[in-house]
Amino acid sequence: MLKRVLHALVTLCIVIVIVFVLLRQMPIEGYFNNFDKLSDAQIKVGLQQLGLTDPLPKQVLNYFVQLLHGDLGTSNKYREGYSIAKIIAQKAPVSIQIGLISFAVSLAAGLPLGILMARSTRTRLKVWDKIGTVLIVVVQAVPSAVYHLLIQLYGSELLGVSMLFNTRSAATWILPIFSLSIGNIAYYAMWLRRYMVDEANKDYIRLARAKGVPAARISRNHVFRNAIVPLVQYIPNSILFTLMGSLYVESLYSIPGMGGLLVQVIKLQDNTMVQALVLIYAAVSVLGLLFGDLLMALVDPRISFTAKEGAR
Amino acid sequence: MQQNDTVLLSVQDLNFKFTLRGQTLHAIRGISLDVYKGESLAIVGESGSGKSVLVKTLMGLNDQNGYIESGKILYNGQDLAAFTDDKQWQAIRGREIAMVLQDPMTSLNPLKTIGWQIKEALELHRNLRGAAADAAVCELLAEVGIPEPQRRAKQYPHEFSGGMRQRAVIAIAMACRPKILICDEPTTALDVTIQAQILGLIKNMQKKYNLTTIYITHDLGVVANVADRIAVMYAGDIVEVGRCAEVFYDPRHPYTWALLSSLPQLGVKGEPLYSLEGTPPNLFHEVHGDAFAPRNPQALKIDFVKRPPMFEVSPTHRARTWLLDPRAPKVEPPEHIRALREKGRALKLTGEGTADA
Repeated sequence: MLKRVLHALVTLCIVIVIVFVLLRQMPIEGYFNNFDKLSDAQIKVGLQQLGLTDPLPKQVLNYFVQLLHGDLGTSNKYREGYSIAKIIAQKAPVSIQIGLISFAVSLAAGLPLGILMARSTRTRLKVWDKIGTVLIVVVQAVPSAVYHLLIQLYGSELLGVSMLFNTRSAATWILPIFSLSIGNIAYYAMWLRRYMVDEANKDYIRLARAKGVPAARISRNHVFRNAIVPLVQYIPNSILFTLMGSLYVESLYSIPGMGGLLVQVIKLQDNTMVQALVLIYAAVSVLGLLFGDLLMALVDPRISFTAKEGAR
Repeated sequence: MQQNDTVLLSVQDLNFKFTLRGQTLHAIRGISLDVYKGESLAIVGESGSGKSVLVKTLMGLNDQNGYIESGKILYNGQDLAAFTDDKQWQAIRGREIAMVLQDPMTSLNPLKTIGWQIKEALELHRNLRGAAADAAVCELLAEVGIPEPQRRAKQYPHEFSGGMRQRAVIAIAMACRPKILICDEPTTALDVTIQAQILGLIKNMQKKYNLTTIYITHDLGVVANVADRIAVMYAGDIVEVGRCAEVFYDPRHPYTWALLSSLPQLGVKGEPLYSLEGTPPNLFHEVHGDAFAPRNPQALKIDFVKRPPMFEVSPTHRARTWLLDPRAPKVEPPEHIRALREKGRALKLTGEGTADA
C-alpha cells in the first residue's frame, strides 16, 4: 500500500524532471512577452532573474523547492505576470462542474443500459440488447466531432436554446453535458453488458440458482456486483480527468474552461505555463491510477497491496 | 444397502429439447426413472449423453433455449414439468432438491465470504437472520468438517483449498435440509486423496438426514463406491437401470458391455485396452431404432428399424435392448463380461439368468 503510493510519487517526480528538461530545450523567447524589442543585455538580466542561467540540475532542484511551496510560477505570455494557479482557479471550476455532471449522467444512464442489455440477452428477442448495440456502434464508429456538431445544431433547435454556453442559463448546460456524456454512456453500457454476460455464465451463478435465489437477487448481488469490479478501476480517473475539460466540446460551445488551455499556451510558447499544466495533468493521471487501484482492492477481496497472507 | 420402496421422485416419459440456431436437439428422449427415498442413484454415461441435462431438468436449471416437450416429473404430488416460472421453482430449489457442482474452484462467488454464501440460502429458505443465521452457518461448517468455523466463515473462497471449498459447497447444499441432493461429478475436479473424503462426507450426510442422492459421474470407481442403483445413459436415453451388482455383474445392454469392457481393470496385461469404435449419434437428427446400433458390431436388423422397449430382467433390473426379447437370437456378451457374470454368480450377487428374479 505504502509502496504503491511511493511508486506514484517517484513516477510523478520523473515526469516533472523530464518535462522541465525538455522545456529548457525550447527557444528562450517563451520566457518573454516582448522578446523582439529587448536588447541582449536585457534578455540576459531577465534570464538571470528567472534563474535560467544556473546549471540544469540546480534549476530542477529550484523548481522542486518552488513546487513544494505550492507555487506553480507565473505566466509570461498567456497573461503576463499572472500567477498560473490563479488562472487555473478561474478556468477549472467550469470544466470540473460540467465534467462531474456529465460523469454522473454517464453512470446514471450507462450502467442501467448495460444491465438492461445484459438481461435482455437472456430473452428471446433481445430487444434492449439490439437497441443498445446500435447506440454503441454509432457512438464508437462516427467520429466524435461529427456527432458533437450534430448535437449542437439540431439540439439547440430542438430545445430552443442558444448554441453558446452561458454559466447563468441552466438550459445552455444541457447540450454540452449531453455531448460529453454520450461517449461514456456507450462505454459503460458496452463494458458492463459484456462483464455481466461473462459473469452470468459462471458456475457460481448456477450454484446460486440451484440454491433457490430469485433471479432479481442473483442479478443484483452476484452478477452486477462482480461485473462492476473491472469498471470501478476507471472511476477515479474519470472524475479527476474532468479537470482537464474537453478541447472540442468547450470550444464548440465557447465554454470558458480548461479545454483548450494547454494547446493555446503551447502555441503561444508560454513555457512556464506549459510546464505547470503538464505537471498538473501528469499528477492527475498518476493519482487517478492510484485511487483506481485502491478502489479495486476495496471491492475485490482477492486483491490486496499487503504481503500475501491466509491459507492457499 | 437398505432402501425402502417409497418413490420420492418419478420421471415419466420425459422429452426435453433445445432449440439452437433454428435446429432442434432432442436431449432427453423419453426417459422414465423412479428415484426411491433414501437411496443413492448413480447416473453414468459418456459426455453428451444427457446426464447433466436430465438432473438440471429436475431443478428447472436448463438454459432458456431448452424446453420440456412432454412427460412428467412427479414430486410430492406436484408435476415439476408443468412449472412455468421461477417462483414455483424457488420452493423446490435448495429447499427440496439441492445440488453440488463439479468444480469447487468456480462454483463459489469469489467476492463474497463463505459465511455470506451459506447465509444467503438460510435467509431465503429458513428465514434465519442475524445471530441465529451466524450460529447456523458455524454449525453447518463444523458439520461438513471445516475446522474453526467462526474464523473460516469470514474468509473468502480464495482462502480455501479445493477440498475445503467443496465442503463449503456441500454446506450450502445442506443448509436447507433438502430431501434430494444431486451431485454433478462432485469429485472430478479434486485431488484423488480428497475424493474419498468428499464422498465419505456425502455418505455421512445421507445417513444422518435420510437424504436421497443422485450422482452424475463417468467414474465407475465412484459408482461402485457409493451407488445403490445405477442408470446407464446413452444418447439422451436410459439404456439400462438396475441395482449396482446387477449392472456391474450381469449387464444386459451392449452399450453397458462396452462401457464395462473399457475399464482398465478388466483389460488383459500386454494387450491394448478396449475402446469403443465410432461416436454417439447426432441428437439434432431424430434417432431411429436403437441409438447404439451403429456402433454395435452384433446389432440385429430390428435395432436399426424399431426402438426397443424397456425389458424387465428382474423387478429391479431393466434394459432397453432387443436382445432381451424372447424372439431374439442368442448373442453372447464379450468374454470379460461373461467372466464378470460368473464372478457375480459365484458371489451370489446376481441371479442365474434372464428367467429368474
